Amino acid sequence: MRSRSNLVVLALVAVSLVSAATSRAGRQNVNTKAAAKVDEAAEGEKRFVTNCGRCHQPPSDISPREAKAVLRQMRVRAMLSAEDERLILKYLAP
Amino acid sequence: METAVHKVAPSTRANASSFGCVRIYRNAALFLLMAVLYVPAAKGQAEGPVITGSAGFLYSNNDGQTSVQPILTPVVLVPLGSHLLVETSAQLQGYIARSSANGPYEGQFFGTLQYLQLDWVVNSHLTVVAGRFTTPFNIYGERLGPMWLHNLQDAPLIYPIGTRTTGSSNGGMVRGVVVSRPTWLLNYTVFFSTLSEVSNLESGRAFGARTGIFLPRARLEVGTSYQRFLQDQHNDSYGAYFSWQPRSAPVDAKGEYAHSPQGHGYWIEAALRFKDSGKGGLALAKFQPVVRGQQFFRKAPGVNDFLPATDTQRVDFGLNYYPIPSVRLNASYGRQFTDARDINYWTADITYHFLFPMAFWLKESK
Repeated sequence: MRSRSNLVVLALVAVSLVSAATSRAGRQNVNTKAAAKVDEAAEGEKRFVTNCGRCHQPPSDISPREAKAVLRQMRVRAMLSAEDERLILKYLAP
Repeated sequence: METAVHKVAPSTRANASSFGCVRIYRNAALFLLMAVLYVPAAKGQAEGPVITGSAGFLYSNNDGQTSVQPILTPVVLVPLGSHLLVETSAQLQGYIARSSANGPYEGQFFGTLQYLQLDWVVNSHLTVVAGRFTTPFNIYGERLGPMWLHNLQDAPLIYPIGTRTTGSSNGGMVRGVVVSRPTWLLNYTVFFSTLSEVSNLESGRAFGARTGIFLPRARLEVGTSYQRFLQDQHNDSYGAYFSWQPRSAPVDAKGEYAHSPQGHGYWIEAALRFKDSGKGGLALAKFQPVVRGQQFFRKAPGVNDFLPATDTQRVDFGLNYYPIPSVRLNASYGRQFTDARDINYWTADITYHFLFPMAFWLKESK
């Protein structure tokens, strides 16, 4: 009887530990993604300055939808790469 | 382009083909209409059409002749899926000036279609463009053409070289990046254009190419252009350009050289970017002084080539002020020197750059 209750306690402890570990990993994953997003926005700013900044300043306020349409046009006119387009979008409308 | 609109010399051959051109443009318009109507099917996607462009009010006094020009240049961008884009721009312009030295001001209003093109972005190496597009020769017309982008109101003296007849072409174009490395990038553009004398859709028969090398670390781009004009007298135009924003100084320097059988010349422009200098505080950061020098050398007389009739030198000094990023106030003074006489040019203008989602798309864009 005692051994059975010990097993139940042990199982509960194990489940709690796994749950806590998973939760911590999830938080770390979220933090990693947020950091990656910041890095991409910073890289996007660099690419904006290098490519777009040769002719104009960044727009003061632009929605993601507007940014996508304008970046598609700039991809044609300024010959931006797909990677440039993606990263500059992260900078203009994160 | 808000610069000079160049008319094509009439020709019998062109008149005979004008009905064919009308049919082509009607079909093209129908195709683009179908494309735009297709857009609602893509409403689930996170992109939609926008209207952008610029509005401006320009004042100029050229050798005592005063004129004012209200200009509206809307640009409509319609992304279709992940690889297609329909883009179009028209220019609605007024020109108000005295009919004689002491006569009343009289106005003319006209509109031109600058471009109406379908872009198919295949990949970074290849984009296919069909329709009416800005003629790619050097960089002024295509990159600095919108009035909110160029630093001085007047186009360079050599602008008509390589952009005949109107600055726009009707036909096809391919462009893209040949090689892209962290330290350098090689781009190209090849196009052909058909002759058109349809009102507001004029273009010359021509083909041409442009290539440029961009060095991101130095922030320097240099390139060359070539165009073969294939109507009336066939001739070649070629040019070279540079654009440089050195990291060591807050200067934006650009320049072009262009050569045609009628003449050749160059312009070079420098604008000081106080904003990037970190000096002078916020107030000074909104100002941008500009200086441009240019020369044109006439080699042979030309008919309707819109180039200066004789050897010409000109220097312009301008000052831009940006109260907010989308609004610019500009004033400039220029002096032009020729053997016959020297002329003063005064300009002032206000331009506003706008960007909105299309009205019928507002609900989805929020």
